[in-house]
Amino acid sequence: MTTEVEYVIEVENLTKRYGSLMAVDDISFKVRQGEVFAFLGPNGAGKTTTVEIVETIRRPTSGKVRLLGMDVTKKKRDIVPRIGVLPQGFSSFDRITVRETMQYYSRLFGCRNADIDGLIELVNLKDKAKERYMKLSGGLRQRLGIAIALVNDPEVVFLDEPTTGLDPRARRQVWEVLLGLKKKGKTVFLTTHYMEEAELLADTVAIISKGKIIAMDSLVQLIESNADYLLLTVTLQSVDEKAFEVVGKMGFKPVLNNHRNINVRVERAEDIRKILNAMKEAGVPLLSMDVRKPNLEQIFLKLTGEALHEDTSGGRGAE
Amino acid sequence: MNLRVVGASLVVSLKSFYREKTTMFFTTTFPILLILVFGTIFMEQDKVRFDLCVQDLDQTETSAEIAKALALSGRFKLTRVDPAIDATQYARDNNVNLVLIIPKDYEKSYMQYVQFDDPGAFVNITYVYDPSSSSVITKMQLLNLAFAKMNQGLSAKSPFVRTSEISIHTKKYRFIDFFIPGIIAMAVMTASLFGSVNVNTELRQKGIIRKLSTTPITRTDWVLSNILYQFLLAVISTTAMLSVSYAVFDVRLQINAWLPLFIILDVFTFVGIGMILTRIVKEAQSAAAAANAIIFPMMFLSGSFFPLEMMPHFLQTFARALPLYYINEGLRASMVFRDNAAALSYSAIIGIVAALVFIVGITATRWEEGI
Repeated sequence: MTTEVEYVIEVENLTKRYGSLMAVDDISFKVRQGEVFAFLGPNGAGKTTTVEIVETIRRPTSGKVRLLGMDVTKKKRDIVPRIGVLPQGFSSFDRITVRETMQYYSRLFGCRNADIDGLIELVNLKDKAKERYMKLSGGLRQRLGIAIALVNDPEVVFLDEPTTGLDPRARRQVWEVLLGLKKKGKTVFLTTHYMEEAELLADTVAIISKGKIIAMDSLVQLIESNADYLLLTVTLQSVDEKAFEVVGKMGFKPVLNNHRNINVRVERAEDIRKILNAMKEAGVPLLSMDVRKPNLEQIFLKLTGEALHEDTSGGRGAE
Repeated sequence: MNLRVVGASLVVSLKSFYREKTTMFFTTTFPILLILVFGTIFMEQDKVRFDLCVQDLDQTETSAEIAKALALSGRFKLTRVDPAIDATQYARDNNVNLVLIIPKDYEKSYMQYVQFDDPGAFVNITYVYDPSSSSVITKMQLLNLAFAKMNQGLSAKSPFVRTSEISIHTKKYRFIDFFIPGIIAMAVMTASLFGSVNVNTELRQKGIIRKLSTTPITRTDWVLSNILYQFLLAVISTTAMLSVSYAVFDVRLQINAWLPLFIILDVFTFVGIGMILTRIVKEAQSAAAAANAIIFPMMFLSGSFFPLEMMPHFLQTFARALPLYYINEGLRASMVFRDNAAALSYSAIIGIVAALVFIVGITATRWEEGI
């Protein structure tokens, strides 16, 4: 029996405190049915605490959380069969094979008609079905975790940092699986600190920092409403310190990148023309130029003043 | 409780166990090795010649005969103690664990028994012994056996030589018979406690418990599947231990319905304690240390290896507060002494303990990550 609700997740004034530490500080948000909702923030921002409260694993200190129209603190037994969860740092029984693990979880959910082969195929693990969990690589393990999260054909899928710790190739493989879920129209609650992941998959992005949501909108809207500057990248024919000095004297703050690229943040389009003219007059040999609106990560940096993650393997890195 | 869920979890545990060859090896062979090592040590005691101090207060030819007979049995090397010396003081001063005292009126009583055919005549042989000595019980058993033979040889009438210091329980069985039930109780305790603590701490550390908490399996289902799993392992290891005991040491034990009952109570109690420990201890390494801290006092103070009578009085009192004591005594009551009434009372006590620990164990199992 499915209750028809426009919002499958409704969080109001949620707070979670551990002693003196305020992990989640009075946040509110809603997730629509069928959308991919990304919770974006650096490590320790409160993403996992929030998602685990919504998934019924943790209890809130205060606030209201409704999932599929039910209070998560009171209706765990009714909620759990209708959701799928890939917890952070997912792990499974070492000596149990991929297929056996899937069978085990399908039995826990009482799914007699679970399409185990179909799910194994969906996550591209067909040739690993008889492999024990302990022999799988990180990417394969995460894909198994996603397949398990889908074993009960859930109405809402929670994926907590599904690609953390994976190499770029394994990460792309997981993204392909997640894009498949998006096409199927599943409601997905994704937590990530990889901007690319949110950009690729999310319909709505909520940016969380130090336990508070500091911005939340559709991806396009979020960038549009915060993009009050442009990024000019000028590529020189050869290394030339003069170009750097010229731009600096005009009152801008150029950033030298790869010795031949100069990045300049400008407020108005006419500033671009001024900079290019000044360089021409100074005889700086230009190779090419590029003007972009800031991306999500730059927006994040602007809003929070902190980088999304320390390693830049998954994103483009803060500039 | 959902039997489908319990069954599915049990199958996963058994497959993991079967595929972890080293765990499987140690679960079944460790108790067998214990039995073989200790059994051989105790069996060897049967061939050992013991030092025996004898104080003959009668100093007659007849009383000398009894000492001679003990020496001729080949089991004792006799040392005579001056009748004028206080036997207790002598034992203390010379670090002797047993002094056998032949009473003053030995010959007189003997004559009355043999010549005047008086069935009421008897002598009381006194053992002055050190209960903390590990070999004294065996020595006393051998003496009792010798006196029993002596009584048989005299006539079919009431026994002439009597000893009053020895508990009647320790009279009629070999140490190995006493030892096997203790080892079974201990092996099941160790496997249940370690199994429960190690598996659950590991699963919690790896986040598997957190994943399970987002599925319909309940805490009770999980704990029950753990108990069933440990019970099956206990059945396997007990069968292996008993087979080896029968084959190698020719033990004479009574196998009846009490055995599985005490094993399941053993499992319930220690899986429950394991669940409580898992709640208290965060890391797998400290969990193993905490399990050891519980196992070792139980192992040595609950009478698994040695009879309680050998311990100082305050330790005996302490032992009676340990759950393993009641499992040991219950198994011995049923397997060795065939005393159903005693087995019933021990099972009632440990049954209450098991139920309480199990309930606390379920309550203590963390299914949600904090409050």
